[in-house]
Amino acid sequence: MPDTADWGHATELDAGLAPVAITGIGETAYTKASGRTAREIGAEAAQRAIADAGLTPADIDGITWSGAFADFDVDAFHEHFGTSHEMWTSPWGGGMAWAATAPYLAAQAINDGKARHVLNVFPVAWATQRASMTGGPGEVHAAQSLKQNLEVPFGWFPQPVYFDSIMRRQMIEFGTLPEQFGAIAVACRRHANLHPDAVMHGRPMTIDDYVAAPFLADPLRLLDSCLISDGGAAYVTTSVERARDMPNTPAVVAGVGEGYSSSGGHWALQRAFTSTPQVFSAPGAFAMAGLSPADVDVLTVYDPFTVVSLMQIEDMGFCPKGEAGRFVEGDTLFHDAGKLPFNTHGGLLSHAYVLGIAHVVECVKQLRGVAPAQVPDCQVAVYGGYTGHMASTLVLTKDR
Amino acid sequence: MAIKRDDFPLPDVDDPLTAPFFAGAAQDELLIPRCESCGEYVWYPQATCPHDGGALVWTPVSGRGTLFTWAVVQRAFLPAFEDQVPFVTALVALEEDPAVRLCTYVVDTAPEHLVADSPVEVTFRPLEFTTVPGRSVMVPMFVPGSAQP
Ligand SMILES: [Zn+2]
Repeated sequence: MPDTADWGHATELDAGLAPVAITGIGETAYTKASGRTAREIGAEAAQRAIADAGLTPADIDGITWSGAFADFDVDAFHEHFGTSHEMWTSPWGGGMAWAATAPYLAAQAINDGKARHVLNVFPVAWATQRASMTGGPGEVHAAQSLKQNLEVPFGWFPQPVYFDSIMRRQMIEFGTLPEQFGAIAVACRRHANLHPDAVMHGRPMTIDDYVAAPFLADPLRLLDSCLISDGGAAYVTTSVERARDMPNTPAVVAGVGEGYSSSGGHWALQRAFTSTPQVFSAPGAFAMAGLSPADVDVLTVYDPFTVVSLMQIEDMGFCPKGEAGRFVEGDTLFHDAGKLPFNTHGGLLSHAYVLGIAHVVECVKQLRGVAPAQVPDCQVAVYGGYTGHMASTLVLTKDR
Repeated sequence: MAIKRDDFPLPDVDDPLTAPFFAGAAQDELLIPRCESCGEYVWYPQATCPHDGGALVWTPVSGRGTLFTWAVVQRAFLPAFEDQVPFVTALVALEEDPAVRLCTYVVDTAPEHLVADSPVEVTFRPLEFTTVPGRSVMVPMFVPGSAQP
């Protein structure tokens, strides 16, 4: 494995901003193909988050979304709510890694006096779109010419193949066993079964089910893989000072981190093939929060495949590199018994594939004490975002 | 976003960024872009060297490497692969610079005989898909090899 200094870096973030908190959360139903558009889903999530914060659409004076999808942007906001006021905007929010960094953008805007209440929205309708092949994770990738010429013709496509290759290399380097990957999938399913809104609610799964599941690409099984879903969520970020007068227990944004691999966007070429840029992102977020991994009560990470969870658990510092296989065995990740309650809503594997936005919402619920699989006395909840060559970290705490 | 080429998933041999790779393969040569000024191999191809902006020249390499990782693909993710599964798609690290990893097929061996980090050697074979009848592109694939000096 290359030395860390050789393969990536952290983004410098300002630790001196006046603190902000997530004050409102909103979610739509999480489903298989719903027939709805992502824009409709985004509008519903936004509406619910604003109401949850005790605000009206006219109070929202900042909005962030994902420029790569742009399903619910500032124009959609005004069209849906019939508003026309000036808003601070950024297309560098939404889901995936940006679900963790959007609150930092909001903090900057709030500190600069450009906004008071910033909405971050991320909807997705890939389950619906898949039927007509007009979207989804594979198509986004296949449209890139280097992939079309140097990867796809060789069968190195799409995501299950990339992550199967990472999983095999992980097993080669560290001796991780199939059942250890399975422990992650089982913990996620266990939490989904406690969560009425989870797509896989009511479908229990054991480690034997995991081992018996078909391979998509050996050694990666169907049950190592995320769902494809319709759904969305949104949250409102406000200064902590204002948040104290708002209806909900504030989820304080205590630390944010962002890290990049210098190997570019192609999985095949990541120099640190079995690591994620959490190596660079997480330390900064924990330092900003004045906390360490040992202080974390709930961890949610962007988990398209079990190996991505495994790598992030190591790279964020919850166990030494290469030891996550043994670390996650047994009840380690369970909400009620484990050392590290993990993806307590079920994650992308068993809750819904809404690309991380529901992970942040789950962290907020855990801090409010209203999560379906509630961790007792949750004080610190962390989201790890991941987008291949980029990772991000969001440390949320109770108002301390 | 949709892919318009009717020969997909064959490579587009006319794409200027990657055309020399396939032209080389058609003549049994594995060519990788190398910077004229710093000598580094640059993969994937780019317009210029990311280190110093030097010109990149498609340079023959030995065709020897090691098997970095592989996937035994069991499900066809595209219609073109329906009659190919199960197949092995691999990342091969080149001897000249192991940071250069090629996505490729490992052929002439059974998946259960593959060994991590074992030597492999290039072979040039026609790539064909039944979904693209009558078309074929020569590409580098790899077979198990013996360690060379
Ligand atoms: Zn150079």
